Amino acid sequence: MLRSEKRSLARFLLIYLLSTFLLFSLAAWMFYSSAKHHLLNRQQEVLKYRSEQLKSTLRALHQSNAKELVYPNDPVVKSAIYDVEKKYIFGSLQPPQSLEYRDEERLYDVAKIEPYYLGAAYLLVSKTIDHAPVAQLQKNILLFMIGAGIFFTILGFYLGRLFIAPMRESIERMNHFIQDTTHELNTPISTILTNIEMIETFGNREEQSEELKRIEIASKTLSRIYDDLTYLNLNHQYHRQIVRLDMSRLVEERMVYFSAMAKAKGLHTVLDIDPQVYVEMDRNDAFRLVDNLISNAIKYNKPNGRLEVGLDNKGFRVKDTGVGIRKEDMDTIMQRFKRADKSEGGFGIGLDIVSQVVKSYGFELGIASQEHKGTEVSVRWKKA
Amino acid sequence: MEKSIVWMVLLSMFVSASESRETPKTVQDACLSCHVRQQIPSELIYRRYLMKYSTWDRIEKAMFAYLKEPLQSRSIMPQQFFLKFPMKEAAETEEKELRREIRAYLEQFDIKKKLVLEKI
Repeated sequence: MLRSEKRSLARFLLIYLLSTFLLFSLAAWMFYSSAKHHLLNRQQEVLKYRSEQLKSTLRALHQSNAKELVYPNDPVVKSAIYDVEKKYIFGSLQPPQSLEYRDEERLYDVAKIEPYYLGAAYLLVSKTIDHAPVAQLQKNILLFMIGAGIFFTILGFYLGRLFIAPMRESIERMNHFIQDTTHELNTPISTILTNIEMIETFGNREEQSEELKRIEIASKTLSRIYDDLTYLNLNHQYHRQIVRLDMSRLVEERMVYFSAMAKAKGLHTVLDIDPQVYVEMDRNDAFRLVDNLISNAIKYNKPNGRLEVGLDNKGFRVKDTGVGIRKEDMDTIMQRFKRADKSEGGFGIGLDIVSQVVKSYGFELGIASQEHKGTEVSVRWKKA
Repeated sequence: MEKSIVWMVLLSMFVSASESRETPKTVQDACLSCHVRQQIPSELIYRRYLMKYSTWDRIEKAMFAYLKEPLQSRSIMPQQFFLKFPMKEAAETEEKELRREIRAYLEQFDIKKKLVLEKI
């Protein structure tokens, strides 16, 4: 994993887990408060029930003529009775305390008594809070949070990797592109420099024309690479000028432009260019379309192979007798930086550019290819 | 009516028990001797006052008011009681003495003296 990838993943996980943790904590706190309140309410209900029982006992005691009136002393639920002025009368709640006194560790219930049995107007019952259910609740919530934390961490990690995958692919493609760029540019530059050096070393001689031709080819290659990269980079900013373009003349010019390259490979060139074929398009787009198809046909052709270029009012086609495209690569051959055959130089952007131009003008692109036999790429000016 | 008679009979069974304790002489003279003769249990009367008024001060105030000017509306006893027993005469005792006697009466039958905590 790249450093940037690790950093992005770490940041994503941090934000994701932090926000998930905060959300869960809030939800857990709300649930805990509600559940604890419910648990304590249930204990409070026990107190209320006991309170009703005690009222009956107080009534019985009040009506009793026994020498001693035995006040009930429950080991769990303590009680005390207070007169109408809230003064303590008697009780099992020790030490005697005021009606308003509250201990945080105990639950209290105050019931009014009327008539005032034993002179009591208020009955206070109290019991210690049973923390066991609350502790169990806390434990359950904690276990749940831990389980959820583990689950969401794993899920977050998996999601993060999914999100980062496209970025990783882009980075890898860019890396390949940069590698290819350095190689692609290096070759024509080396050719130019080498041939210049030869001219300087050996001075005037007839064979210089060969060196000059090579320089010419290398320079044109450089120029084409530059044009393609610029087209890709600035395409969205480029303001097209649609003109009535003489395609016949343009294709002938480009064939002259590429003639040195074709000759260098020993290709037999067949031209079938109808005169006065006009197309409404931007000149630069036309160059990119024609140049990429012709350069690919030359690049991937076999030495001493055949190059056919045709143009008429229906469309433009280029056919070679080169290495061809494998069936499994046919669907992805248009993708930027995709190179089915890496034996020759290039970035894999040529067909991507062709595809973009075809799409923007509503042309129709067709590719027919047979591995080891050759490829024919055709562009129909209008969709059928 | 029949209910009141049964209630009176039952009460009278406890009269001698409650009245047999030792009491201050003035209270004996002022109240109990008549109560014993007429079989009106004093402790029961106290319990009725307790049930209605709760505190010692409020009971004392109510009793004093009744003794000074006995009226049915001031009496702690139910209406049916006065079908059998005549309204008592107003106490002629001096206020200070009467209050003292009332306190003695309450002291005698004070509920707190009888309450004990159950042993566990």
